[in-house]
Amino acid sequence: MEQAQTMEFPYKHSTGQTVGRFLAGLKEQKQIWGQRVAGLGVVVPPPGYSEVDGSEPGEWVAVKDTGVVTAVAVVRDPVDKLHPFSTPFAYILVRLDGADTAMAHVVKDDIHAVKVGSRVAAVWAPDEARVGSMRDIAHFRLVP
Amino acid sequence: MANEPPRDPVKYVETHVYLPYHYVAGDSRAGYLRALKDKKILGSKCSKTGKVFVPPVVNSPESFAPADELVEVADRGIVTTFCVVRIPVTGRDLQLPYVAASVALDGASVSIFAPIQECAPDAVRMGMRVEAVWKADGEREGSHEDILYFRPTGEPDAPQDSYIHRL
Repeated sequence: MEQAQTMEFPYKHSTGQTVGRFLAGLKEQKQIWGQRVAGLGVVVPPPGYSEVDGSEPGEWVAVKDTGVVTAVAVVRDPVDKLHPFSTPFAYILVRLDGADTAMAHVVKDDIHAVKVGSRVAAVWAPDEARVGSMRDIAHFRLVP
Repeated sequence: MANEPPRDPVKYVETHVYLPYHYVAGDSRAGYLRALKDKKILGSKCSKTGKVFVPPVVNSPESFAPADELVEVADRGIVTTFCVVRIPVTGRDLQLPYVAASVALDGASVSIFAPIQECAPDAVRMGMRVEAVWKADGEREGSHEDILYFRPTGEPDAPQDSYIHRL
């Protein structure tokens, strides 16, 4: 006996000051911001506090939109409406230049050439398409 | 270049949740669902304690002993606990307010979830005796939805000690 059922609904997260301003930076400035926090250095995306000792964050730090891949996982069989692309792609962790932590994102092209240690650069969505979302960076691409 | 990101935060992130489920019933649950088509509600009896679980289980979640002896329980019982829902759920078309209840069927040691209708929400109470309203013959499919809802029978309320341990 079996039954197919789909749960489908919109989900709206409120962001708060820290993530909200980080997203505004992506949308309005095409700039990726981190925060300097105790025990970790420059954390991207910014956490709003130190996960090491709970202290208040220090200054905002602008990081570059290029960096180094620290982890990669290729999705060979994307699931409709779950994954960002319908063709195979790679999830990556990328430590952006200036950051001390890695951020999750995706690589769309040349995915089998992506390795730990590969250098990548952000491909930004056009001005009118940026809404204040991690997808304001459409994806990362390998740089030679 | 700015020293900080913009002062005004982006307030919300919108995502779309899409969860397709393909549920495959095991033998125990399949037997329970099939019986609903015949207006029969099955439970299973723990070989160690005699407690009757509805829907049937293979092993008792309480004693871990086998509980595969099937027994039929009544399609009437007692409201053990309930809640009146007045908040809509995005993506679902529900008539508000509605009553979500736990009903201990006669013969069962635990309650099942069921909506209560044909009753003002304010009138629902613990101990209220109810009976199932089934989908019509020919419309039942062997699904939880074969029972449309429970409604009060009008009988006197059950005494608390008859249901308080069957929530």
